[in-house]
Amino acid sequence: MKMINFGKRLLNSTLPVLLAFVIGGIIILLIGENPVDTYGILLGKSLFTTKGLLNTLHYASPLILTGLAIAITFKANIFNMGVEGQMLLGAFFSGVAGAYLPASLNPAAAKLICLAVGVLCGILFALVPAVLKAYFHVNEMVVTLMLNYAMIKVLEFLSTGVFRDYSSGYVCTPTIHDNAMFSRIGNSRITLFFFIAVAAFLVMYFVMNKSRLGYEVTAIGKNPEFAEAAGMKVHRKIMILMIISGALSGLAGSGYMMSEQFKYTLSFSGNPGLGWDGMLIALLGGHSPVGILIAAVFYAALKTGADHINLYSTVPKEIVSVIQGLIILFLAVKFVDEHTDIRKKLFGKKTGKAETAAAKEA
Amino acid sequence: MDILGNILYDTVYHSAPIVLCVLGGIFAYKANVLNIALEGMMLIGAFTSTLCAFLTHNVALGILLSMVSALIFGLIFSLMGVTFKGNVIIVGLAINLLTSAIARFVLVTMDTSNITLSFLNVADFQIHIPVIENIPLLGRILSGHPLITYISFIGIFIMWLLMYKTRFGIYVRVVGENEDAAKSIGLKTDFYKYAAVLIGALCCGLAGANLSTERLGLFTNDMTAGRGFIAIAAIYCGQGSPTMSSLYAILFGLARALSVNLSIYAGPAAGLFDVVPYVIMVCVLTAVSIVKRKNNKIRGFKNE
Repeated sequence: MKMINFGKRLLNSTLPVLLAFVIGGIIILLIGENPVDTYGILLGKSLFTTKGLLNTLHYASPLILTGLAIAITFKANIFNMGVEGQMLLGAFFSGVAGAYLPASLNPAAAKLICLAVGVLCGILFALVPAVLKAYFHVNEMVVTLMLNYAMIKVLEFLSTGVFRDYSSGYVCTPTIHDNAMFSRIGNSRITLFFFIAVAAFLVMYFVMNKSRLGYEVTAIGKNPEFAEAAGMKVHRKIMILMIISGALSGLAGSGYMMSEQFKYTLSFSGNPGLGWDGMLIALLGGHSPVGILIAAVFYAALKTGADHINLYSTVPKEIVSVIQGLIILFLAVKFVDEHTDIRKKLFGKKTGKAETAAAKEA
Repeated sequence: MDILGNILYDTVYHSAPIVLCVLGGIFAYKANVLNIALEGMMLIGAFTSTLCAFLTHNVALGILLSMVSALIFGLIFSLMGVTFKGNVIIVGLAINLLTSAIARFVLVTMDTSNITLSFLNVADFQIHIPVIENIPLLGRILSGHPLITYISFIGIFIMWLLMYKTRFGIYVRVVGENEDAAKSIGLKTDFYKYAAVLIGALCCGLAGANLSTERLGLFTNDMTAGRGFIAIAAIYCGQGSPTMSSLYAILFGLARALSVNLSIYAGPAAGLFDVVPYVIMVCVLTAVSIVKRKNNKIRGFKNE
């Protein structure tokens, strides 16, 4: 039974991906390119060479963290869309800390301080919607979305005015000192940050699967009234979840700053942004930590592969964003019902197929 | 006096697309289908209208196609969200990402970063109302807007009529308030949900055309800049009432107009004015929620 359930969950996660790739392939065909070759470059260069794989793991590190940050709140039916903003704030101030701390500081201490600043900023920013949601019942989704935009504007102001590095030709903050940078291991881009992300993943795996809090998260997600009636203090749990979420987002931001970007630019998190990518990853991984780990690596492979597509073929790399959008769209629909028993399973498969056909038409 | 006129004119100018979005969103809100794809539908509307006008030099066709394209995404939204019972929030997010990705993809294949309608003089679209134009302050505010801006404000009244004075509006609200009850009296609930989403898509397509083609003659990607989400916040604040929600949308327009006009005096801090609307919205949402919950007697925590 457990295996069947697992199989269904796997099917529910892989079918949308396959569908999206098929539609993406059709689009590539339409602009007169070979989809098989394109996908070969996309995945081959990023997953099946050692250097490529290590680079992929490097880019997966912040995504694992933002994915976990999204998952822990979404699982409790709290829609924290503010991961992007929390991550940016954490990144910005850890970057500022890295640049303004004395360059002679002990490297370990400098890194720790920068990470701590990032995490703290993430938590502080997550506290605003958390308090509003827990004590004033304000819809957290709208608030976090609004605050994202507000935060991007504030950071734009800070990086063009107060903290601008005027020696640079474009808008950015000063580059962080060497003692706050994670150095690369070998000839790939991978740094210590990947291992920090994995450590955070292990902690979150324990929290979400083995601890009381993890159970409570599931209970609140399924039925908050029941959770309250069963004696859980739901509003306090919401605060805790948002704090964890904010801390993970802040860590993701500061780690990305210290291992990849080294200064805050206006396009720091790319488009659509690490926080939004994290949302896709959380959905793809079905809000389970192991799923998120796999999804993050897959997603990072798409990202690194996108650059290779630009180099080795004439297909624009924006095709990858289209595929990502399609993946989420199909993920919203459960192709196979996870809760039907074996006898109903055949029936479930039938409707699954019908839906697939209809979805293809869409 | 001049600056006051400018601020008020800009208020109308910046409110129009948000008001349209709000009008599009309220029906979905009332039908209990949270449509957060407003942003994406607006973007695709903006994109198609400019692209079509760029290719055919026909603005009317562009505006028509903007509505059609938004309708297509409305159909996808309701197909995935209503027929297949997918999570509407995720579907909405997906459409937001997808539309922006499609626009970016097409822009890259066209080898540009934005579409500019150079043949077009945007000032030609401004309608100057003969008599009102000459009234000192009022003329400055009411006259000289493009067509869709007027449509959006007339739309507030039309939507109010449609929602409260027609059978259709009542049914949509019934479906939203109690779906089982609606089913038990034989209403096709899915039909009303589809209709609600599609009305929203239509308005968003228009809002997009207003934003890009009609006001600027220009499309850059992500030019909607969260207006769809502001519309959602406005809908929440106004609890789905056309007039109240539109008022909040106009409030945002005012904040935006203030930030644009006062930025001349503020210098480097100009960017911070853009934060004001968002903060105002969060404060309003909080205040509305506190007032709504003041007489709440439910024990413990209740989600939503």
